[in-house]
Amino acid sequence: MGDFAAKFYQNFIQDNRYMFLVNGLKNTLIITVFAVALGLVLGFLVGTIRSTHDKRGGWTVANAICKVYLTVIRGTPTLIQLMISYYVILVSVNNKILVAILAFGINSGAYIAEIVRSGIMSIDEGQYEAGRSLGLDYWTTMRKIIMPQAFKNVLPALGNEFITLLKETSISGYIGIQELTRGGDIIRSKTYTAFLPLIGVALIYLVIVLFLEFLLGRMERRLRQSDR
Amino acid sequence: MTDNEKPLIEVKGLHKSFGDHEVLKGIDYSIYKGQVAAIIGPSGCGKSTFLRSLNLLEVPTSGQVLFEGTDITGKDVNIDKIRQKIGMVFQQFNLFPNYTVMENITLAPTQLGIMKQQEAEEKAMELLNRVGLPEKASAYPNSLSGGQKQRIAIARALEMNPDVMLFDEPTSALDPEMVGEVLQVMKDLAAAGMTMLVVTHEMGFAREVADEVLFLYDGIIFEKGTPDEVINHPQKERTQAFLNAVL
Repeated sequence: MGDFAAKFYQNFIQDNRYMFLVNGLKNTLIITVFAVALGLVLGFLVGTIRSTHDKRGGWTVANAICKVYLTVIRGTPTLIQLMISYYVILVSVNNKILVAILAFGINSGAYIAEIVRSGIMSIDEGQYEAGRSLGLDYWTTMRKIIMPQAFKNVLPALGNEFITLLKETSISGYIGIQELTRGGDIIRSKTYTAFLPLIGVALIYLVIVLFLEFLLGRMERRLRQSDR
Repeated sequence: MTDNEKPLIEVKGLHKSFGDHEVLKGIDYSIYKGQVAAIIGPSGCGKSTFLRSLNLLEVPTSGQVLFEGTDITGKDVNIDKIRQKIGMVFQQFNLFPNYTVMENITLAPTQLGIMKQQEAEEKAMELLNRVGLPEKASAYPNSLSGGQKQRIAIARALEMNPDVMLFDEPTSALDPEMVGEVLQVMKDLAAAGMTMLVVTHEMGFAREVADEVLFLYDGIIFEKGTPDEVINHPQKERTQAFLNAVL
């Protein structure tokens, strides 16, 4: 036990080493939050374009662009996309965090787009027809009738995507960002102990995910009000 | 029926194909204000497709649908405006499960800016009284029985003050004991002078309420006349065979 206390002190307290985790966590959260926001915007846009094309035709060019986007993003590893963003496309951008936000946001957008599309497809055609038969136009029907129900149906899948994204930001270290995982790595390289820094980092991810699950659960319960 | 000169809906040479399959093979029909028409026929004969063509939920392959004189298949027609005047009731009710009964009824007129919220709610309460469900205003659709859902769906359509109501097999998805309550609402509506087209298998209702019965078969109006003519004394063999099977 005394050994553990000493190890704990060495890894986290001595030289304020816990600050590596605190600062890392800060970067992890910044990247995740903004990437999720960007991913949601992109995902809803692309998912809506794809569904609109499927539902009432037209928008052929926009739909084709969206399909290329989905294929490229889903067809290549996130890490490669991150490195291409940093070393090839956005070389002139000095802000690594910004590059990571863009790379993860664009990546997540592709997955969210398909989640959104599956949500829209999950709603019975009769809902759409009922809206239209009352004289509502296509967009009002989508906004007031289809989307709210679709959102409820895909909330678990969206939650999944957020959780995945949070953990995937751990590869940001590859472009030199000191996020949570890299913070643990730095401690490990200073103290030559693996157990505590790694377990510490793992626990922090776990706690954030638990918090996310809690929020999503509450939201789901609220949206399920009408199921009674 | 003072407006007898001009039909409310006039259908001319209506054809509809799904791929290679031609469902409607040339339908000509007119309905006048205040009339109730029952559309009967075997499944797959095109009854629903015909009805759904009248508000363009199905876009005709060729032919015209004139609503109050306007060809709604025309390119420049604002179909959303036209649909506000054509109420539709579906076999599967299609209430919005994420909204309360009150919100289901008031959503369209308030979204469209036709009524203020309060005005819409007052009218909705009136309609809920009319269909006998005032106590369900704040309930969600999933807590209602099929018959109740369908009565709410009728109220939702009536909230828009339609000139005509289309019913697409409104009682076919209901348990037998709930058919009566929905038919009663429809009878009251007919008695109040609403123009109605009803796709139905309820021969009793057709006999009692309809001014005209259309027997659709093989994509055309095979036989047409008063309920007495078509249901009690069908002229064609195919009509007789169908009626023998359902009566």
